[in-house]
Amino acid sequence: MFTLRRWWERHRLQIILASLAIGSALFIRQTEARFLFETYQFLTRPFQQAPAQKAVLENAQLRDLQQRLADMESQNQRLKELLGYVSQQPAPGIPAPVVGRSADHWWQQVILGRGTKDGVKVGDVVIAPGGLVGRVINVTPNTSRVLLLSDPSSRVGAIISRSRFMGYIRGQSTNRAVMVFFDRVPDVRRGDVVTTSSFSQLFPAGLPIGRVESVDLNKSPAPEAIIEFSAPVSFLEWAVIHSHAPHPYSTVPSNQEPNPAP
Amino acid sequence: MKSESLSRSWQDHPFSRLLINCTVTVGSVLLCLLILPTRLPGMELAGIGPNWLLIWVVAWSVKRTMLQGALAGLVLGLIQDGMTAPSPTHVFSLMLVGVLTARLRKERYLQEDFISVALIAFGMAVLAETVTAIQYSFQGDRSLVEIWTYHQLIALSSAILSSLWAPVLYFPLNRWWEYMSELKVL
Repeated sequence: MFTLRRWWERHRLQIILASLAIGSALFIRQTEARFLFETYQFLTRPFQQAPAQKAVLENAQLRDLQQRLADMESQNQRLKELLGYVSQQPAPGIPAPVVGRSADHWWQQVILGRGTKDGVKVGDVVIAPGGLVGRVINVTPNTSRVLLLSDPSSRVGAIISRSRFMGYIRGQSTNRAVMVFFDRVPDVRRGDVVTTSSFSQLFPAGLPIGRVESVDLNKSPAPEAIIEFSAPVSFLEWAVIHSHAPHPYSTVPSNQEPNPAP
Repeated sequence: MKSESLSRSWQDHPFSRLLINCTVTVGSVLLCLLILPTRLPGMELAGIGPNWLLIWVVAWSVKRTMLQGALAGLVLGLIQDGMTAPSPTHVFSLMLVGVLTARLRKERYLQEDFISVALIAFGMAVLAETVTAIQYSFQGDRSLVEIWTYHQLIALSSAILSSLWAPVLYFPLNRWWEYMSELKVL
């Protein structure tokens, strides 16, 4: 008993400090470093630039193309309405600056400077100028962490927009990704545009991802293609967060009722 | 002199000395954690920055026991798990780094502090990334070829950068801890 007490008296301070350190580390881990990211955002705020400035710098040709695309989209929407599709008005997104990258080298993540205070939720879709970049996996009041498409653990259902052949995309930790096809002999060429498919539950269908760079049809077990992301995934400066509620398999228009028999 | 009176007052009040020491130590950890998500120009190589937590663990364990090294690895590993993702965990790699750094017989092989810390940081960075790569291999959701080609890239860049930046963190911290232990002995 005496030796135990003496041992305690000698090591009391060290044990208390050690348990304090482990306790706070566990706390930080459980809260997913909420406090750290908030502090980081607070400290780096003076160095961030407003996303609005970037938008002004976009060149005129791009704007022209966007306008024409918007025109086409609305036309498409109208035709779909005529056919009886549900019209989905996309909500305006939240522009957010990229304030940091992943805290280790194995994960492809970015930290955006907008959080729950601005209405960001876990599962929201992040789009950069050029195309889809990733998905929000964690939010704090002022920051949100995004898992990029280039991370090997993120997989997205994708489709070749020209020939409608489907597959999924697997990140490669660079600005290239591998698309694995479901079909044995897909019709795919260099330069084809790849978008998210309607089978993807985590992302809405039809978002641009990238272009086919090369095709390997002899790959076993399934043919593969190398995709180059159209958004600058490795040097993002700002992105737009769109809210998205994952809805499993809603490829069939929901309000279409079976045709009454004539 | 002012610093003398300061050290005398710290000598007289062991509790305030402990408090200051803890504040400086925790403050340096916090600084490392806040630098971690940045990629400052000149501090990155192919999108990869120095592994600041590893540098801190090395600086902490160089003149401490294996248990203390393991403890530092555990604490910082848990925090880094919180900042990225809990699996694969960073606890194993950082604990191993702490234990091995404390275990190394530096006085036998290496004399000069500056060189030895840089060398230790280089070796430990390679080791830590290898431990993570092994964990990924067991997890099995990526192909082995992908894991190990990527491992080559990040092990090398992170080792080079960590060893170059290690003295920046090691010197002030080491001076501080030496100063504190001198006060305790006196």
